[in-house]
This record gives sequence, structure tokens and C-alpha cells, in this order.
Amino acid sequence: MHELSLAQAIWRQVVREMDSRPRCRLAALTVVVGTFSGADPESLEFALRLLVEESVWPTAEVQLRTEPVALKCRSCGHDYQTETFDLACPGCGGFDCEVTGGRDLRLESMEIIRDDETPDSS
Amino acid sequence: MRRRIRLEKKVVSANDRLAKQLAERFRAAGILAVNLMSSPGAGKTSLLEETSRRLGGELRLAAVEGDLATERDAERLRRAGMAARQINTGRGCHLSAAQVAEALDAFDSPGRPLNLDSLDILFIENVGNLVCPAQFDLGERQRVVIASTPEGDDKPVKYPVVFHTADCVVLNKMDLLEATLFSRGVFRQHVRELAPKARILELSCRTGEGLEAWLDWLREERAEAKKGGVPP
Repeated sequence: MHELSLAQAIWRQVVREMDSRPRCRLAALTVVVGTFSGADPESLEFALRLLVEESVWPTAEVQLRTEPVALKCRSCGHDYQTETFDLACPGCGGFDCEVTGGRDLRLESMEIIRDDETPDSS
Repeated sequence: MRRRIRLEKKVVSANDRLAKQLAERFRAAGILAVNLMSSPGAGKTSLLEETSRRLGGELRLAAVEGDLATERDAERLRRAGMAARQINTGRGCHLSAAQVAEALDAFDSPGRPLNLDSLDILFIENVGNLVCPAQFDLGERQRVVIASTPEGDDKPVKYPVVFHTADCVVLNKMDLLEATLFSRGVFRQHVRELAPKARILELSCRTGEGLEAWLDWLREERAEAKKGGVPP
């Protein structure tokens, strides 16, 4: 529901990183959306693309990767993952689990090109 | 040459940092901070009104109220005898730790903060929404999710993230049970599968049925908070 403001927060991070790298252009950014992060990947991608298109690097690629929920069963110690919200442990069938991953929304990486190089020189 | 730079920047990390500071303030004051979450109309404010009327003479209570607009909820609580500060989020769909910190620091008026040492329980009533508030820690010791019988017994499976994080699930409007197709068994099963350790409390703010168990839960948790230490 607040994907636009999340996208703006991500974008502020990108701009801050780019500010510290003069003479560089943004080529791509990769964002990881955990299944348990509460953010909707599609709306987030839409909002990010809008921000990119209005920026000084309008051709930068927006890459989104979803991350499954990682769980650890407190009863039997089994580590497992789920792409859905079925939290049952495949080991013992129990539900008492700890979420160990898939809760974050993070700016994983960005790709930049130095202005004095052409993209073809790679 | 394209160069990849690894950043691994968490987007809500700024909120997490502030939430930790709030949690530390609550811990230092030995108070119980409760984050109340539900869909709009499930009865968060009604529960706090009843809590104020029944527990206000015994424990010192205060509330921070989150809504997009109006001062209505804070006014309702003040009429019920509880100190309350309203936060208007405008178009914001959840409360953030920064907003809570700001409200505490200007509780009565700008420059007049809430004295946490003179409190037993601080309620933080989130914006009515079962999606976004789950993502934003507010430094609370306990998370309470309120559902109500007219909403249907499948709310937990439709909004699993918020129910998974609940320490206590309140099922309100039990007085309307007969008028709905709500199944208590189905609801309990769904909650058990998402939050097996959460306390489930059935009550009705309207008739008062079940409220004593809620007040007892608050008394227990407040006693634990007073002892200090990190909740299990």
C-alpha cells in the first residue's frame, strides 16, 4: 500500500550512492523483496520504473528479485523455505517456527558505468 | 565498463534503528508498550476505552493514536479517562517509529514530552490496516492484533504476516457471533498455524464479556515489563 514511498526511500539511497561517485551513470539497480516484507513486488517495480524514467538515468534497468521466507522449526530444528504463507514444518508438521529470512526489502546492488568509458568497452 | 556495486541496504533499517531506541526507552522506564493493529473498525479504540474505564484506577495508562485524519480517537480516549496524543499520518498507511517518538516528545504540547516514568502501560494504536503496520517495528514489547467476528474467520490466512507477528490475538464483537457465519474453531486453527504461541482472547467491548481476561493479560505483561529484561 505504501510501495511508492518505499520506492522513494530506495531511490534516495541510489541517489546518495551516485552522489559519491561523480562522472558515473546508473545502468541498473537490483532490489530484493522478501515474501514476508509486506511489499508488493509489482507495485514496487512500477513505482521504481517511474522514478528511474524521470531521473537523469532514464535507461537504467530495474531488477526485482523475490526472496522466499526462510524458517527454522523450534520443535525439530529443521530449516526450510516457503514461497507461500504455509508455515508448517515439512519435518514434523509443527507451526512453531522462527522467520530467519525473507522479511527484508533491500537495495541489493547497483551497476554503474563511468562516463569516460562507453558501454561497449566492457 | 559496467561495474556492480554490492550495497545490501535495508529499506526499513532507519525505522528499525529508531524502534530500538524507543524499545530501550520503554525498557528503562519499565513500562509495557503495546502495538495494537487491526483493520479499520475491528474495535481498537473501543477496546482502549473499556480498558481505560476498567483499569484506569489501577494502572497509569496513556495512548498514541494513529489515523489518517481527525482527532476523534484521541478525544474518545480522553473522554474515557486516558491521556492520549493523536498522530495524523495524512496519506500514510502505518505508524513509523519516528512518528511515535515525535508524539511522545510533544505529548501534551510542543516541548512537553510524556513522562514515561510516570506510566505503567503505553498503547500505540496503529492505523487501521492489516498489511503495512506489520513491517514497522515501533519499539513495542507486545503486539496485539484485533479481529472481529463480522470480518470473517479467514482473516488470519488472508493477512498472514501481521498475524504471524502477534503476541496476542483479540477476537472482538463476540456479541455478534450468532448473526455471522464466523467459526471460532476455524479462526483458532488459522491463528495456531501462524502464531502458535499467541494468546487468543475472545471478548465483546459492547457487552463486557471476556474483558477481564484481557485486563489480566495486560496486568501480567505489565508485571513482566516492570521486571525488565527482554521479552521471550
